[in-house]
Amino acid sequence: MGEPVGIRHLRALIVAAAVAFPALAHEIGTTQVTARFNRDHTYEIDVVTGPASLLSKIEHRRVAPGPDVRARLLAHARELREAAEIRFGGVRVEPEINVIPSAARDPLRSGASEPSLRLGMTPESATIRFHGDIPRNAGAFTWRWRLTYSAYALAIGPRTEWLDGDGVSSPFPLSRELLPPSRLDVIRQYLVLGFTHIVPYGLDHILFVLGIFLLTTKLKPVLAQVTAFTIAHSITLGLTIYGVVSVSPRFVEPMIALSIAYVAIENVLTSELKPWRVAIVFAFGLLHGMGFAGVLKEMGLPRSEFLTALITFNVGVETGQLAVIATAFLAVAYWHSMKPWYRQRFVVPASVAIACTGLFWTVQRIVS
Amino acid sequence: MRRLFLVLFLLLTAVTARAHDFWIEPSSFRPAVGSLVSASLRVGQDFVGDPVPRSAQRIEKFIVRDGANERPLVGQENRDPAGLLRLDTPGVAIIGYRSRPEALELPAQKFEEYLRSEGLESIIALRAKRGESAKPDKEIFSRCAKAILFTGGGGGGARHDKEVAQPLGFRFEIVPESNPYTAGGAIAFRLLFDGKPLRDALVTAIRQDDPGKPMRARSDRAGRVTLDLRARGVWLVKSVQIIPAPPSSGAEWESLWASVTFER
Repeated sequence: MGEPVGIRHLRALIVAAAVAFPALAHEIGTTQVTARFNRDHTYEIDVVTGPASLLSKIEHRRVAPGPDVRARLLAHARELREAAEIRFGGVRVEPEINVIPSAARDPLRSGASEPSLRLGMTPESATIRFHGDIPRNAGAFTWRWRLTYSAYALAIGPRTEWLDGDGVSSPFPLSRELLPPSRLDVIRQYLVLGFTHIVPYGLDHILFVLGIFLLTTKLKPVLAQVTAFTIAHSITLGLTIYGVVSVSPRFVEPMIALSIAYVAIENVLTSELKPWRVAIVFAFGLLHGMGFAGVLKEMGLPRSEFLTALITFNVGVETGQLAVIATAFLAVAYWHSMKPWYRQRFVVPASVAIACTGLFWTVQRIVS
Repeated sequence: MRRLFLVLFLLLTAVTARAHDFWIEPSSFRPAVGSLVSASLRVGQDFVGDPVPRSAQRIEKFIVRDGANERPLVGQENRDPAGLLRLDTPGVAIIGYRSRPEALELPAQKFEEYLRSEGLESIIALRAKRGESAKPDKEIFSRCAKAILFTGGGGGGARHDKEVAQPLGFRFEIVPESNPYTAGGAIAFRLLFDGKPLRDALVTAIRQDDPGKPMRARSDRAGRVTLDLRARGVWLVKSVQIIPAPPSSGAEWESLWASVTFER
């Protein structure tokens, strides 16, 4: 019967462990520990062990193997957490805990001559998973498990280390990409993300902002609209990200398109800032905020710097919008806004084009 | 809450301070004749332990003796339970596990703690006399574990007593003088080292249902110790010896861990 390469390696390691000084103080048991560090800056440490002997050690009395292992182990979550010393750079972290029971593994089943044997002893195993966030600027990882008497293997990626029951693992330095980004990294990344979400990727938002701008070249009305829009989309971006409100994109996306058409159509009809205009822009801002949140949710926010990322993304969006207005102002309005043809030859046709695009998108987004 | 943590802390530090016992835990101590029994190896303390899977590399002898027969236990490598057997002869069956020596290094303080807890004060005194109390421990250790099973039937009580009192021949061995399944309250044990009675050795008896109250006694000149084991349940009787290691081993000390488990 061929055996997997992994087992052969394991055996070679056991042989090596048996002859060398310094050596393990105890026999190798059935416990196995695997540590994983993930790209989302979390760690997971799986302790696979026999639940009955683990419970016996915690309760300090003999516990027979049985069902409901998960509940019985979770009832001792505090003791389990206490027994697992997870450190980064010497600083202990408090892990979350989960218990995953595995199907009973009967050693006699594979190639057994008498599969009906009942030996009153189920060599079952359970996985106790400790997990949590890797701290920022985390130092080297060390592990200690105080609830085993036997020696066991700790596997971290390709590295395997044999630990005595109570032993502390040798420090495992984490590579840079596994560490959570610094606050500065987050600021840089989400500013860019927010900006590029407007320019160049957010054509619908660009058109809406242009719609706001085309109403008039007077500073005050533009400022009032931009401010209303900004406050509104900041509110819904935050509320949606934190899960306070949730509106389906099937409603939000066509409404954003419709808002573009609306401001453009109003631009054709009037060049005055009507009192309702700011209120309507505010209402549309609420919709756009939900749209931004959708993107941000897809990208994901770093758990360690959630608020930083949210705020800088919003600032990035804002900068993008201001860039659109500044460009439009410098390219056309600055030179020509006083000319008699500015409104007839530029504002009206541009607004009609924007309105048509907005209406087209509205239909398109409803249909799809 | 704080007190609970303290208790837990003491418990955990107690776990770490001592060297660990080794014993055999069969799936049943009173199997039916003809039934299959598994024998799990355990390492731990206070009669609470971790399973030790079978490792051919470490086994010097892993046998069962029932009647006059002695045969090896079969089992799957790297699996727990480490051994399987079928009892065909009614009466007493003795499972024996003798390991090959393994190397171990301990800091001086841990070594002295373990010597004290195993009643090996003579070694502590010897180290002190040589001015070596602060010297770290470099030792080889090996296991001499037994489990006594009883199916009932199979001839008279005298025959069973005789079978139980017959050593397996391990270098260090705890040998009951009467069948623990039929004997009254107190049971006498002989401690044999290299086949000779071992005097002044600390013997500890622990009942699985009450591991917090171990019973301790030292063997007399004849290597005999009598323990009052009237409480029902599964018992572990154990003892540890330390001698100078053979020079070829590269170690300074050699420890031998004897145990016997049975049910009352």
